Amino acid sequence: MTIDNVQLTIMKARKQVKININNQEILTEQGKTILQIAQEAGIEIPTLCHDERVEIFGSCGICTVEIAGSPRLFRACSTFAADGMVINTDSERVHRNRKSVLELLLSDHTGDCKAPCVLACPAETDCQGYVKLIADGDFDGARELIMQTNPFPASIGRVCPHPCEEACRRELVEESIAIASLKYFAVENSTTPPPMAALLQGGELRVGIIGGGPGGLTAAYFLRRKGHDVTVYDAMPEPGGMLRYGIPEYRLPKAVLQKEIDMIKNMGVEIKSNANVILSDVHGKYDAVIIAVGAWVSASMRCKGEELPHVFGGIDFLREQPEIRGKTVAVVGGGNTAMDACRTAVRLGAERVYNIYRRTRAEMPAEKQEIAEAEEEGVIFKFLTNPLEISEKSIKLQIMQLGEPDASGRRAPVAVGGAEEILDVDIVISAIGQKLNPSGLEALELTKWGTIKADPDTFCTNLQGVYAIGDAVNDGAGIAITAIGQARKAAETVHAFLAGRGVPDAPFNSRYLAKTEKTSEDFADREKQLRAKMPHRCANERRGDFKEVNLGLTREQAQKEAARCLDCGCADFHECKLIRYANQYDVRPEKYEGLISKKTKNSPIPNVAQSPDKCILCGLCVRLCEEEIKAGVLGFVGRGFDTQVKPAGDLNVCENCGKCAEVCPTGALIINNE
Amino acid sequence: MNIKVGMGSCGIAAGAGEIFDLLVKRAKNTDSGVTPVGCNGMCYLEPIVEVDGKMYTQVSEADVDDILSGIKPLHEAEQNQNRIALRNCGIINPENIDEYIEKGGYQPLNLTPEEVIEKVKASGLAGRGGAGFPTWFKWDACRKATCSSTASPCSDNKKYVICNADEGDPGAFMDRAILEGDPHSVLEGMLICAHAIGRGAPSGNSSLRDGALVEGIIYVRAEYPLVIKRLEIAIIQARERGFLGNQFDIKIKAGAGAFVCGEETALIASLEGERGMPRLKPPFPAEKGFWGKPSNINNVETFANVPWIMQNSGKAANTKVFALTGKIAKGGLVEVPMGCTIKDVVFNIGGGIQGGKNFKAVQLGGPSGGCIPASLQDTKIDYKSLAETGAIMGSGGMVVMDESSCMVDMARYFLDFTCKESCGKCAHCRVGNRRLLDILERICNGSGKDGDIELLEELSEEIKAGSLCALGQTAPNPVLTTLRYFKNEYEDHIKNKKCTAKSCKKLLTYSIDLNKCKKCNLCVKKCAANAITDFVINDEKCTKCGFCESLCKFEAVTVN
Repeated sequence: MTIDNVQLTIMKARKQVKININNQEILTEQGKTILQIAQEAGIEIPTLCHDERVEIFGSCGICTVEIAGSPRLFRACSTFAADGMVINTDSERVHRNRKSVLELLLSDHTGDCKAPCVLACPAETDCQGYVKLIADGDFDGARELIMQTNPFPASIGRVCPHPCEEACRRELVEESIAIASLKYFAVENSTTPPPMAALLQGGELRVGIIGGGPGGLTAAYFLRRKGHDVTVYDAMPEPGGMLRYGIPEYRLPKAVLQKEIDMIKNMGVEIKSNANVILSDVHGKYDAVIIAVGAWVSASMRCKGEELPHVFGGIDFLREQPEIRGKTVAVVGGGNTAMDACRTAVRLGAERVYNIYRRTRAEMPAEKQEIAEAEEEGVIFKFLTNPLEISEKSIKLQIMQLGEPDASGRRAPVAVGGAEEILDVDIVISAIGQKLNPSGLEALELTKWGTIKADPDTFCTNLQGVYAIGDAVNDGAGIAITAIGQARKAAETVHAFLAGRGVPDAPFNSRYLAKTEKTSEDFADREKQLRAKMPHRCANERRGDFKEVNLGLTREQAQKEAARCLDCGCADFHECKLIRYANQYDVRPEKYEGLISKKTKNSPIPNVAQSPDKCILCGLCVRLCEEEIKAGVLGFVGRGFDTQVKPAGDLNVCENCGKCAEVCPTGALIINNE
Repeated sequence: MNIKVGMGSCGIAAGAGEIFDLLVKRAKNTDSGVTPVGCNGMCYLEPIVEVDGKMYTQVSEADVDDILSGIKPLHEAEQNQNRIALRNCGIINPENIDEYIEKGGYQPLNLTPEEVIEKVKASGLAGRGGAGFPTWFKWDACRKATCSSTASPCSDNKKYVICNADEGDPGAFMDRAILEGDPHSVLEGMLICAHAIGRGAPSGNSSLRDGALVEGIIYVRAEYPLVIKRLEIAIIQARERGFLGNQFDIKIKAGAGAFVCGEETALIASLEGERGMPRLKPPFPAEKGFWGKPSNINNVETFANVPWIMQNSGKAANTKVFALTGKIAKGGLVEVPMGCTIKDVVFNIGGGIQGGKNFKAVQLGGPSGGCIPASLQDTKIDYKSLAETGAIMGSGGMVVMDESSCMVDMARYFLDFTCKESCGKCAHCRVGNRRLLDILERICNGSGKDGDIELLEELSEEIKAGSLCALGQTAPNPVLTTLRYFKNEYEDHIKNKKCTAKSCKKLLTYSIDLNKCKKCNLCVKKCAANAITDFVINDEKCTKCGFCESLCKFEAVTVN
């Protein structure tokens, strides 16, 4: 080892110094580290292990910088500035070294940044967060949290097919958490009226939105919150789109929806109903345009007689609600719209309602609850049948059987040669899907499925300043929460575009997140507690009217249900420095996949929840406890790769100050509020 | 007769203790004197008995009478070496201070501290612990450091001289041999150092005028009990003669065997009763060391050179002690002049490779060092030439490898060592070196992937740049040098799933050549895994122990 000039300079540095950081000349007093000087000058140098309250340690090694004249890298936290130093904090070399540290740390940092429910939600709703607030009895807080990502909590809590619950890990113990029912509960049990979101100043820029469904109105809500001037054009007499016209009253009362739309109106969003505008009417008149027209054309059954007047499209039937008292109705399709049509037909006084579905109950895309309730209400299921021909008083069905699994993974229905059945019916409803009506949108590029082509992260279309979301784009008709999620992202893009910042950072689900795989063995120690059942009106009573079927969870039920949550996601996510830096430096930790260090169970620290698997051994907790608190409760135990922070000293001297958790850069130590 | 018995740990392990006792008993009523001495370096010939300068080697108890009756010596002492640090090892009784004094030890030092430092500078002495940092520079910095110039305020004017005897490189035993064979040379070296860093200046620099109170500490690993015993005896004797005790005294601190405590800041932490974890430098120990006081830390061999330098004014202290191990014919301790070549050491001193196999490479500097291939055997042993090959001088471990050594496995072995010995503090060392090991393990197991070589290179570079102390910074060296000289072996492992050295078991398949097999059934009976039926080896069951191959008299078992 030889001494290079830089080291000599460092050793001699003891007076006022003038240094250069990233071409910026800085004059400062002697005895300061590069990190301190950079921080004072507003130049960010990342660090995970440094804190002014404790002595320099240098364990994380992420604060490295380059100093002209030396081929080495220096830790900014421990290198004292010397006169004339020329420092680069952001070179390619520095970037590469920092990235390597982050990737190495993350390769042995196991946990879930986000809970599976949150990752599964198309709108990234913080399910874990609001479930926790409900468990704690803070229902207003829960609603407010939901509304960070979704302005329709009451409506969505009623109608969402809840992909979150499919992902829920409580399933590995016994049954998933009733997340959707809890959302419904939180809104119904909030004590204050929905607060109007704070509006930012602005308003000079104007956004036109075509379509007043959940997507269009959500985009309006988020853009209005940013202070923009928003006008929504809706073709129907009342806004709400499919939430109003595609979901029956008994599932989502119009009054509930109206209240949520009113809130958006009260924010200053202008909604023009019965407005049949096309793209060219608004394009160029606004600073940005969002297309959220939905998919209102019922898909064809491709069978004879489809054009007959007693054949309705599913959503058309739901919207028009024709007089069918005493008639026999056949509803074709296995999705939620088909179930809605079946149950609406029951309520409209149909004598008999058939459901025609070409596969079996197990393959039905509709929610299990909807199928069960339809059956309770007397709907007759004709599984493994497919319409061949519709005539004035009957429908001819092809008998099917299940073959090999198709691309969707479900077993494909195959016709059984010669096997047919004829049903006597007065009304046929086709509820097998919806399509975009592209007229008036000719300037937009479409996909091969006939939907508008939009970027899946930013929702830009082929036209600059025109964005498209919801059922009208890409994969076509989906669920409301998807449109809401896309609306929020599109609103961010539009806001960034209007502010002249180009395209915003990619949303979090395209960034790095730590994730783990769990099995039921991981939760073998959990006590089994069955999922709360949503109370509802009995079938006989409800089939005669359109009043809401569900009655909502009781307070006791809801809090007990919410307490079942396994808290999968990291409670420290929003404060975690590790994940923030990880995404700043575009990490790919999977390349260092290897052994995971052995961590043994720790004895408890008062008021602090420990997740040793997330510890990156920065040592801040150990040092702060020893140097600042003078308690020395924590220590390093073990050697090398298996080194671990443990309560190693006398727990009786712990002052319960929680400083160890406060200073932890990750979620390894967090304040336990329980 | 003057009889000397080599009683280093190596000699004792080979049975020298029993020989010594027997010789003492038989020589009781004669005029012959029997003395224990340290290791003379020829460990491969232990036990060694020297009688009036003639050497008997690999002595058994049956040879004792022959020795006493003066039958021709079995082996002439070889002196192809130039000994400075080892000058008294194997020659004097380490438990007798008089013998050390007789050889010129503890001569009065009529030099000012500045003159001492000047002499050390003129000798060119550099740190023998591995880094090769100029010794005079450290001494000078420590001399000039005063408590007022250190960051922490202190009331007393104290300094420390610390001897680093935490020898931990696999295959290195230079320090042990010196401390077992000639402890006083190290004590005297420390005494001279204490004079240099602590004695007041007669005039001039006011901060140095008063001088400092200097204490000495030897940090020695607890696995060296004989070293500790001989040091204790030597310190007591030196105190009795007044060399130690009044102005300067030395304590022994036994370390618990953590390799990283050989790093000077970790060593200081360990001395202070803290976890042995390195800290960032600066401040260097010369400014802020043990208990925050200016401290000078040198390695055993460095201190052992110092009395010689004082006595041989003007001469360069240009030798280095190496511990020769591995596939070498004559393993042991050698001290060679700087500038001789690897080839000189391996072939002229070490006697070449065991069993007539081909020389492949040497690993210098243990886990922190690198390998030098046979093709570079003319490389001179000096700090600069060795550094150019990617290896380092190191503390003196020289592991010799032949054609049966797999270089990937060698890198894996050293990485495994460093990972186990990492203190766990900084991310690059704790996780980075573990990831290097993960990659090397999978390559040796036949699961290496395309891109692994590039990943090893990329990660090594970041570990070297980002690790906090020398342990982490140098840990990738065995990987980088084997990649530099033996990349084809890595490629063979990854692409062809083949280990040419036939060392990586997971990549070997054993089979029986039925043309050669005489169906003697020996292998079938002896196979511990019951992997051989009808003279066919079941690869699933085979544990690749190689026993069948070694048993077969007809060379019918082949390995691929």
